[in-house]
Amino acid sequence: MAGIAVMVGAASLFAQQPQEPTTISREVKEVFERCSKAVVKINATDQHGDLSGTGFFVDPMGTLYTAYSVGGEADKITVEFKGKKYAARQLMADLRSGIALLQVDLASPALPIGSSSQVEVATPVVTIGYPLDLSETPSFGMIAGFDRKCMGGYFPTTHLRVNLPPQRGEGGAPLLNLKGEVIGILLYSFENNSCYALPIEAAEKLRSDYVRFGEPRYGWIGTNVQEAAAPIEGSRAVTTKVMKDTPAAEAGLKPGDVVLQIGRTKVHEPEDILEASFFLTAGDAVPITVARAGEKITFQIQADSYPDGRLPASASLNRAMPLNLQSVPEGRP
Amino acid sequence: MDEFNDTEIAKLLRLKRYEQPAPGYFEDFLHEFHRRQRNELLRQPLWRICLERARNLVLQLNLSTLTSSPVAVTAVVVCAAVLSLKIYQTPQPAAVALKERPVLAVPASTDEEWTLASPVATRVFSTRSLRNMTESAQTHRTGTPPRYVLDSVPVSYETTFKF
Repeated sequence: MAGIAVMVGAASLFAQQPQEPTTISREVKEVFERCSKAVVKINATDQHGDLSGTGFFVDPMGTLYTAYSVGGEADKITVEFKGKKYAARQLMADLRSGIALLQVDLASPALPIGSSSQVEVATPVVTIGYPLDLSETPSFGMIAGFDRKCMGGYFPTTHLRVNLPPQRGEGGAPLLNLKGEVIGILLYSFENNSCYALPIEAAEKLRSDYVRFGEPRYGWIGTNVQEAAAPIEGSRAVTTKVMKDTPAAEAGLKPGDVVLQIGRTKVHEPEDILEASFFLTAGDAVPITVARAGEKITFQIQADSYPDGRLPASASLNRAMPLNLQSVPEGRP
Repeated sequence: MDEFNDTEIAKLLRLKRYEQPAPGYFEDFLHEFHRRQRNELLRQPLWRICLERARNLVLQLNLSTLTSSPVAVTAVVVCAAVLSLKIYQTPQPAAVALKERPVLAVPASTDEEWTLASPVATRVFSTRSLRNMTESAQTHRTGTPPRYVLDSVPVSYETTFKF
């Protein structure tokens, strides 16, 4: 009996092995069939001529995300949906994050919003886009990394590096997990068969800003941070400057304070500051915990808007700085 | 030039290395080159174009060898005869040109690129050329595919560790 049981077990194992790729293939197919209805081709015209990219609906009222390079500076934007073309208008465009929010006057399907924080390296993902002049096309790959910087320059927030083959025309395409939820927006191709996507949380922060204020509202408190020689309370992010008449100064932050936590984000090194500060919203209070003279102090600081010209990617700054150039124009905050 | 020092120029040059032409640039290069060449040529006054062409013709025909030949003499005589005949048939050529000037000012002013020196020649020459150029541009535009967008180089706008 034991021998028969072993043989049956082995047979079932062998029977299951070929099913693995079939299962993934079926899941990808299901995601594509379910989600492609909410992915649209976007045509527009900008100062250089006609352009074509991809976007996707995120609510039933025709609101859709795309890349800034598709809908950020273009006009005469049209969306191809169910074989028809609809005029779209720009609700918001944000150069810093690289996305644009558009709207079409129609009842639309919508992709569910997922969470990029729940995916890990090697998690399989799917993207659906409109490469070149072709129809909607799925691409399959996996999460390859979570990068804060690339080639010496910093992203505004952690980006998802994805190993899948992106093609021209797929800028603004949704990055989906195998449940069919959006976890990112495809923005850049990178080297061979690799690309970067903005996490959907970052895009949703901006959509929330739009709903509340009608525009992106990045928060600013007015401090400079550098890397400390030795960690204090597990953090190397030491405040080197607190600007006068800023929220940080008014709250009582001082140079030498070691930043331990901003909102829910624990800070271990200065790079964590970028991640946390991206999600600050002007007008909202955020708890900031620092270590000072051996004790932990938490300040409630109401973030302000960036002063004119100090917002990263504002019009007065260089608008096309490749990441591998570390040159920062003098006079920048 | 004083605005830039060597370091800034070096930075700009480094930036230049990452510039990429728009998709389709190389496919359209020859077409665009010819279009601009024609465009540039037509900006010159008509008399200069005619003069240049006549000079090229003379150079091609090697005039020095023709001066001694009876063919050249005959050609000069025929040309003189035709010109004199034309002059007799059009009694006031200067007045005609002046009359047409206001009419011709309209198309000329609508598109400064097509202003030519001679009003008579302007109407005929520029109208035909303008139509051809417009048509060819439209044909070219409709045939040109759009830019299929996916940024190839990530960009950074972040000022590090300042918030």
